Amino acid sequence: MAAAAPGQLNLDETPSWGSRSVDCFEKIEQIGEGTYGQVYMAREKASGEIVALKKVRMDNEKEGFPITAIREIKILKKLKHANVIKLKEIVTSKGDKMESDFLGPEKEVSAKPVDSNKFKGSIYMVFEYMDHDLTGLSDRPGMRFTVPQIKCYMKQLLTGLHYCHINQVLHRDIKGSNLLIDNNGNLKLADFGLARSFSNDNSGQPLTNRVITLWYRPPELLMGSTRYSPAVDMWSVGCIFAELLHGKPILPGRNEIEQLTKIFELCGSPDEALWPGVSKLPFYHQFKPERPMKRRVKDIFKHFDRNALELLERMLTLDPSQRITAKDALDAEYFWVDPLPCLPSSLPKYEASHEFQTKKKRQQQRQQQEELAKRQKTQHQQSHHQRLPVAPGGHGPRQGQSQAAHGPPPAVPSGPGHHYGVGARGPGGPPGRHANQARPPAGGSQGGYGARGGPSGPFPVPAQQGGYTAPPPGVSGQGGRAPGSYGVQGGGPGYPQGGGYGRGPSMPGARGQQYGMPGTGVIPQAPGVYGGQQYMQQPPNSYIDVDGQYARASHAGFGAPQPGSPHRGDYRQQR
Amino acid sequence: MADFSTSSHCHHWILQRQTLVDKLRASNQRAQEALKKYGATRVEVQADGSLAYPENAEVEAAARKGPTPEHLTVQEEVMIRKFYEGKIQQVCTAFLFPNKIQATAILYFKRFYLNWSVMEHDPKHIMLTCIYISCKVEEFHVSAEELGKGIQQDPQVVLKNELTVLQGLEFELIVYAPYRSLDGYAFDLENAVQGMGAVAVKNVQELREQAVFEVDIMMLTDVPLLFPPGQIAMAALRKANRENRKVDLERYMQGLLGRTGAKHTMSELESAMDAIEIAMNESVHVEEEGVRRIDRKLKICRNPQLQDETKKRERKGKQKQKKPQDAAPPTYPKPADSAINHGIEESDNFTTPQVHMLRWEGMLSLLMSVKEIGAKTVLAIQY
Repeated sequence: MAAAAPGQLNLDETPSWGSRSVDCFEKIEQIGEGTYGQVYMAREKASGEIVALKKVRMDNEKEGFPITAIREIKILKKLKHANVIKLKEIVTSKGDKMESDFLGPEKEVSAKPVDSNKFKGSIYMVFEYMDHDLTGLSDRPGMRFTVPQIKCYMKQLLTGLHYCHINQVLHRDIKGSNLLIDNNGNLKLADFGLARSFSNDNSGQPLTNRVITLWYRPPELLMGSTRYSPAVDMWSVGCIFAELLHGKPILPGRNEIEQLTKIFELCGSPDEALWPGVSKLPFYHQFKPERPMKRRVKDIFKHFDRNALELLERMLTLDPSQRITAKDALDAEYFWVDPLPCLPSSLPKYEASHEFQTKKKRQQQRQQQEELAKRQKTQHQQSHHQRLPVAPGGHGPRQGQSQAAHGPPPAVPSGPGHHYGVGARGPGGPPGRHANQARPPAGGSQGGYGARGGPSGPFPVPAQQGGYTAPPPGVSGQGGRAPGSYGVQGGGPGYPQGGGYGRGPSMPGARGQQYGMPGTGVIPQAPGVYGGQQYMQQPPNSYIDVDGQYARASHAGFGAPQPGSPHRGDYRQQR
Repeated sequence: MADFSTSSHCHHWILQRQTLVDKLRASNQRAQEALKKYGATRVEVQADGSLAYPENAEVEAAARKGPTPEHLTVQEEVMIRKFYEGKIQQVCTAFLFPNKIQATAILYFKRFYLNWSVMEHDPKHIMLTCIYISCKVEEFHVSAEELGKGIQQDPQVVLKNELTVLQGLEFELIVYAPYRSLDGYAFDLENAVQGMGAVAVKNVQELREQAVFEVDIMMLTDVPLLFPPGQIAMAALRKANRENRKVDLERYMQGLLGRTGAKHTMSELESAMDAIEIAMNESVHVEEEGVRRIDRKLKICRNPQLQDETKKRERKGKQKQKKPQDAAPPTYPKPADSAINHGIEESDNFTTPQVHMLRWEGMLSLLMSVKEIGAKTVLAIQY
C-alpha cells in the first residue's frame, strides 16, 4: 500500500476493510482488451508469480459497479474446478498510478469527506495466468491438432462446463477465445462476464436472449427465447467442436438473420414435429424459411470420423431439450474409443508466450500505435492496405480458391497486428474473428513466407529472429507480427491471447497473422506423435462445393460492424 | 459441488462468539481513537485502501468550540445496528423483494460492521447500499435511482458507498440464507407427511410460516454470524413448533441425520439450536427512545460541527419564540438531554447536506406509498 497521504491514516498493510492495492503487482504488458476493461499480464512483486489482471471499468455512473463484474466475481468465487479459471483476488488502485489507467479528469487528491468520496480508483480481478487461448492456438501457423489432442481439449471443456451446469451456472459465452490453455495442456473456462446463475426458484424469471457471441449462439436464442437452459452452452460447444475438426468457424453469420439461415442450412429448419414448442418462440414465424430445409450435418461434415459426427449431431440438435448435455457428452463413444484423449500433460508445450518487454519497446509500440491510430482516424487506410483486412465487400477472392491451391486456409496479415482496437471495430463491433475471417488469400503480400509446405508437410522449424527480444512471433496465439508489418512496425509485440480474461473478442486481426512466418514458435511436433492421424489433412473443399454460402461467408464484410449488429456489445449498449 | 460447505460464507463469515466480540470492540476502539485524534469519527476508504479522516482544520475548529463529542459504546452500536437491520427488513418488504434479498442485505450489513464502527460509516447509507448490492447479486436488479426514489434518498449515497461496502465484504458476495434452508425442510416435511392426510400437510405449511417469522427475528441478532443457515432454520422450526407440537420434528431430525450421514449427533444439533435460542433471547431490545438518543450522539461524533449549528439554532429559536417550554437545554454537551428535547425529526431542518436524514416515522408511511412503484420496478428490470 502506498504511504499515507496527508489526512489519511495508514493502519495496516493489508487492511481488513478492503483489498490489496494493485501496486503489489508490476504490470508487464497489456494482453487483452474487452468491453469492461483491459487485461494485463503482471507479476506479483512479492512472489514473482505471473498473473493476469483484468480491469473493471467503472464508467457507468448510473449503476456503479457493473453487474457483469459482480456476476463474474460471485460466480468465480463459488466455482472451484480444474477446468474453470481461478480468480485469485480482487485488488484496487488509486487510479493515478499507471499511465494506462488514467481515469480521466477527476483526480482530486485532497480528501473532501462525506461529500465527494466518489471512488476514483479502479478495481482489478487477479486471475491465474494462462499462456494461450484455444482460438489463438488453433490459428497458429502450422498448428494441427491431433485427434487425441482435440479429444483432450473437448473433454476438459465438457468437464468444466458440466461442473458449471451442476452448480447452476450458465456460461453464456462459450467460444474459443474464452477457453484458456496453459502450457501443461490444461484448458479452463474463462470470462464469466455474461454468465449467470439460474436456479429453480426463479425459473419464472426471464433471461435475456442477447447473449453468446453470434457464431456460437443457439437457434433458441436467435428466435427470442428468454427461458433457456444449459443447452445454450452445449450448442456453442458443438460449434467449437466442429470448428476444431473442420479448421474454421462453421457458422459465421454476419447478423442474426444470416446466422439463423446458416443454422437452418446446416441443421435443417425446425418444425413442431422436430422441436415441440418451437412455433411459440417470439421470432419463429418471422425467421421461418419459406420452404423446409433438410438437415445436412452428415453431408457437410462427412469427412469427420463416425463417432465425432455422431457426437456433433447430438450437440447441434435444434431442440434444446433434445440436445446432449455436458454429462452425456462426456459419456459419448467418441471419448472412449481409440485414439483416446491424451493426457493434458502429454500435449506439446508451446513456447513461452510473454517475455518481459523493455520499457523502450513498450514506448516504441505505444508511439506506433498512436501513429497508427492517427493514420486510421484520418482514413488513409489505402496507404497501407496490404496490412489491412480486406475491405468490407471488398476484393478478397473466395477462400475456397486459395484453399484449393494451398491447402488449409492460408492466413496472411489481416490487420496491422498491434492495435488497441482496429479502427473499424466500434465498441459494439463484431468479435475479432470477423476481421480474421476476412483473411485474404496467400499471395505475394506474404513476402515469400506464405508458402506452407502443404498440409501434412514438415512443420516450420522455429527460428529465432536475431536481436528480437519480444516473444517469438506466433507463440501462444499472440498476434505475432505479420510478415508484412515486421519491418514497418519495428517489433511491437502483438497481443497475446485474444480474450478470455477480457470481454471476449479482442484483437481483431491479431490472430492468424503469423501464418507462414519462419520461427512460428511452434515447437515441432512430430506428426503422429500421439498415434493419431491429423485432422484436416485434406482441405474440406467439399464443404465449399456443397454450399457456396459457406465460402461466401468467409468474405470480408465482417470487418466493419454493421449498425445494430447483434453482438454482445450491442446487448450492453441496449441495456 | 460448490455448496455451503465450500463457500466463503461457511469458511470466513461464521465466527466464534469471542471473535465476534473482539472484532466489534476493536472497531469501536478505532473510532474512539479517531474521535480523540481528529475530533470526528467519519472515515472514508480511499481507492487504495487507506483511510481518510477529517482534516485538521476542522478538528481544531471543533475543539475551540467545545469538548470532544461523546463516543458510542459497543452496546449502543449494537442497538443502532439492530435498528437499521430492522429498517432493511422494512424497506425490502415495502419493495416486495423476496426473502433472500433481505437476508443477503442484512448479512452484508452485519459483515460490513464486523470491521467498521457505525461511527465511521453512516449506517443509514450503508444499509441502503447493502440492499442495492444484494439486489444486484441476487439477480433482482433495481436501479439505484428507483431504489433512491422509493425511499426518498439520493441515489448517489448508494453509489458512492458501493465500493467501500464491496471491499468491506472482501468481494465475498455469496450468502446462504436460512429462508432457503427452511423451504428445503418444509418441502421435505411435506413429502414425509403426504400419506398422513391434508391436515398434516397443512400443519407443516403453518409451521413453515411461523418459522419464517422466527427467522426474521433471528436475522436481527448475532445468530447469522455465529451459526450456519441450516441450523438457524431448524432452530426456527423447533421454536415455532414448541407450542402446538403439530409436527413430529424430532423424528424428522433424527431421520435427516441418519439419511445424510451427518457428522453431527442429535445432541450436538440440539445444543446448537439451544445456543441459537439463547443468542436470540440475549439480543438487545431496540426501543425507539434509546435509538433516537444514540442516533443523535452518532450524528455529532460523525460531524462535530453539528453541535455548533444545533446551538445556533437553539439560540435563534429562543429569540424568536420566547416561550420558556420551548427552550433548549441550557448547556452542552448533554447528549441525553439534547436527544430528548431534540429528537431526530429536528435535524431535518438543517440545511447542511450531511445532516439531512430520514424521518423514521415518516419513512414507514412513505414506504407504504412506494409499494406499488417498488413492485413495478422489480418486475420491470430483470434480465
